[in-house]
Amino acid sequence: MAIVYEFVWQVLHVLLHIHRTLITWFRIRLRNWNGRLWSRALTALIVPMALSFPNQKNIVPAPGKRVGRRYRWGADGKSLEKLPDHIGLLIAEEEPRYTDIANLVVWCMAVGISYVSVYDNYGVFRRNNSRLMDEILKQQQELLDLEGSKQLCVEFLNNGTDKQDQQVLSCQSVLKVLSPDDGKLRIVQAAQQLCRAVEQRDKTSNDINVTVLDSLLRESKSTPDPDLVLKFGPVESTLGFLPWHIRLTEFISLPSHVGVSYEDLFSALQRYASCEQRLGK
Amino acid sequence: MFINCLFIGICLYVSLMYVIRCNACISTGVSEFFNMSWIREGELNLIEKLSANILKAGPMPKHVAFIMDGNRRYARKRHVERQEGHTQGFDKLAETLRWCLNLSIHEVTVYAFSIENFKRSKDEVDGLMELAKQKFIRLLQEQENLEKHGVCIRVLGDLTLLPLDLQQHIARAVVATRTHNKCFLNVCFAYTSRHEIANAVREMAWGVEQGLIKSSDVSEALLGHCLYSSNSPNPDLLIRTSGEVRLSDFLLWQTSHSCLVFQSVLWPEYSFWNLCDAILQYQLNHRPLQKARDQHREGQALQQHEADRACVADLLQHHGNGKPLDAQRRQEALLNYTASREERVQDFLGALQHKRDSFLTDLTSQAALA
Repeated sequence: MAIVYEFVWQVLHVLLHIHRTLITWFRIRLRNWNGRLWSRALTALIVPMALSFPNQKNIVPAPGKRVGRRYRWGADGKSLEKLPDHIGLLIAEEEPRYTDIANLVVWCMAVGISYVSVYDNYGVFRRNNSRLMDEILKQQQELLDLEGSKQLCVEFLNNGTDKQDQQVLSCQSVLKVLSPDDGKLRIVQAAQQLCRAVEQRDKTSNDINVTVLDSLLRESKSTPDPDLVLKFGPVESTLGFLPWHIRLTEFISLPSHVGVSYEDLFSALQRYASCEQRLGK
Repeated sequence: MFINCLFIGICLYVSLMYVIRCNACISTGVSEFFNMSWIREGELNLIEKLSANILKAGPMPKHVAFIMDGNRRYARKRHVERQEGHTQGFDKLAETLRWCLNLSIHEVTVYAFSIENFKRSKDEVDGLMELAKQKFIRLLQEQENLEKHGVCIRVLGDLTLLPLDLQQHIARAVVATRTHNKCFLNVCFAYTSRHEIANAVREMAWGVEQGLIKSSDVSEALLGHCLYSSNSPNPDLLIRTSGEVRLSDFLLWQTSHSCLVFQSVLWPEYSFWNLCDAILQYQLNHRPLQKARDQHREGQALQQHEADRACVADLLQHHGNGKPLDAQRRQEALLNYTASREERVQDFLGALQHKRDSFLTDLTSQAALA
C-alpha cells in the first residue's frame, strides 16, 4: 500500500513541476508576443512610447524619451497611497542576471524609494559588487537622463560612521548590497560586543534590552527597516535575510528576476500600497 | 502518444488540485457545539486519510509554526462579538493540533499573544487574558488526556508581563506536562522575536557575569540555545493565515531557512485541506531549503573553527615563552581549547535551564500557597 501512495506522490509532484514550468513558459511567451505586437503598432503609428518590454533593449531611445520616462516613473510613485522607504530585493535564484537587477534598482530609485537593498543567499553580489555597480551605472544611462543618473549614490552596508551619514544626506537614493553575513552573524557580533562590555564591567546584563541591541544593529540612525521585500525565485523562504530587521516587512513574491519588467515591479508596489499594518492593535 | 499521456496527466492533476483547492474553499459551515478542549478526539475521514497517506510518502515537516491571524475579521464577517472570534480561533487550534498528529507532525508552535497586542483596548486585552486563564485551567483538568497523548505544553515569552494569576496557571500547566514527550505544543504568549533575541543576549551576558562563559564563547549556536525555543528544533514550515504577508516579529531567528506559506483563509475557517496545501508547498521547497540550510551550517562550523583558532593564537601569544609552537602542538592546543569551550558552554546551558525551571517551580509553589 505504501508503494502505491509513494507512486501517487511522485506523479503529483511531477505534475506540479510541469505546471510551474508551463506557467513560466507561458508568462515569457505572452510577454514576447505582446512585445512584438506593440512594436509593430508603434512603428506603424510612429508614436514615441516608453520602453517597457525587455526584448526591445537594442533600441536606444532618444534623450527626450528618457526624461519622459523618469517623470512618468516619479509620477507613478507619487500616485501610490504609500511607498516603501526601504525596499529589499531578495534574489532566491541560482544564477543572478546583473542587468535585470540593475534595472530593478534604477526603477526603484526612479519611482522614489530612498533605500534599496540587494541580497542573495550565496553572497554573490557582495563578492561581485563592482560588477553590479558597473551594470547599474550602465542601465542608469540607458534608462534615465543625466539628471536622474546624478541622484544615485552607492553605499555598502558596513559599520556606520558619521562620514557615511553625511554621504547619505547628499544623495536622493542609497543602495545597499547585503549578504547572509549581515543577518545572524551581525547579531552575534553585536552580542559579543555587549558581552565584552559586561566582561570589562562597563555594562551589566540588565542593561541589555531591545533598544540597546537595535541601536547596535542599525547601520546608521537614518536607515529604516525594510518595509517591503520583493522575493524573486521559486523558493518560499527569507533565506537568512536580515532576521532582526524584517519584523514588520511585507513579503511579495515574484516568479523570477530574469526578464522582469517595470510593470511587474509597479504592480508589486501597488499591492504593498493596499496592505494595512495594524502593529498589534 | 506523448500528447495523450500529457493530456491524461493534466486531467488527473487538475482534478486533484480541484479536490484539494475546492475543499480548502468550503467554509466550515454551521458551527457545531465544539468541545472546548485542547485536544479534539477523532480521526480523519476516508478522503482525508487517503490524502494524508499520499502526502506522507514525501518529506514531511517535523515542526510547524502557525500565525493564527484573522479572528477579529472572522467575527466581523459573521456578525458576532470579537470575543467569539477568539474563542472560535482557539477551537480551530485544537482541531489543527489533531490534524497535525494525524499527519505525524509532532511539534507545533503558535503565536497566541504578542507584546504589541498589549496596545489593544483594555477590554479586549482583559478578555484575551481571561480566555487564556480559562484555557490553562481547563488544561490542568485534562491532565489524564494529555498524559494519554503525551502532550508537552511549553509557553514561550516574557511571562513577567502577564497578570500573576495567569503566570501561575501557565507555570502549573507547563510543569505538569514537562515530562511528556510524544508531541509538543509551544504557545507564544507575551512574545516578540526581538524580545526573545535580546533576552538571549542578556542571558549570555549573565553567563559572562557569573563567570560561566567568556565573551569569546558567544556564537550563533549558543545564541540559539539561549532563546525561549531552545528545546525545539527550528520550524520547517511557517503558516500565516488571513492573507497578511509579514512575520510580525514571530520566530525571526528560527525561521530564517523555513518554508513560509501565506494563506488567505481566516484562521477560524482553517481546514484540513489548507494544511495539506501548505505541506505540499513545503514539499516543493524541501530540496532547495535543505541545501541552503546545509550550506549555512557549514559556514557556521567554519566560523566557529576560525574563532577558536584566533582564541588559541591569542592565548599562546600571551602565555607562551615567545618560541613559535610546531603544527602538532598548535593542533593539540586547538583541540583542548575547543573541548574546554564546549564544556563551559554545557555547564552554562545547564545553569540557564535550572534558572528557568526554578522560576516556574517558584510560581507553582506560590500558587499552591495561595
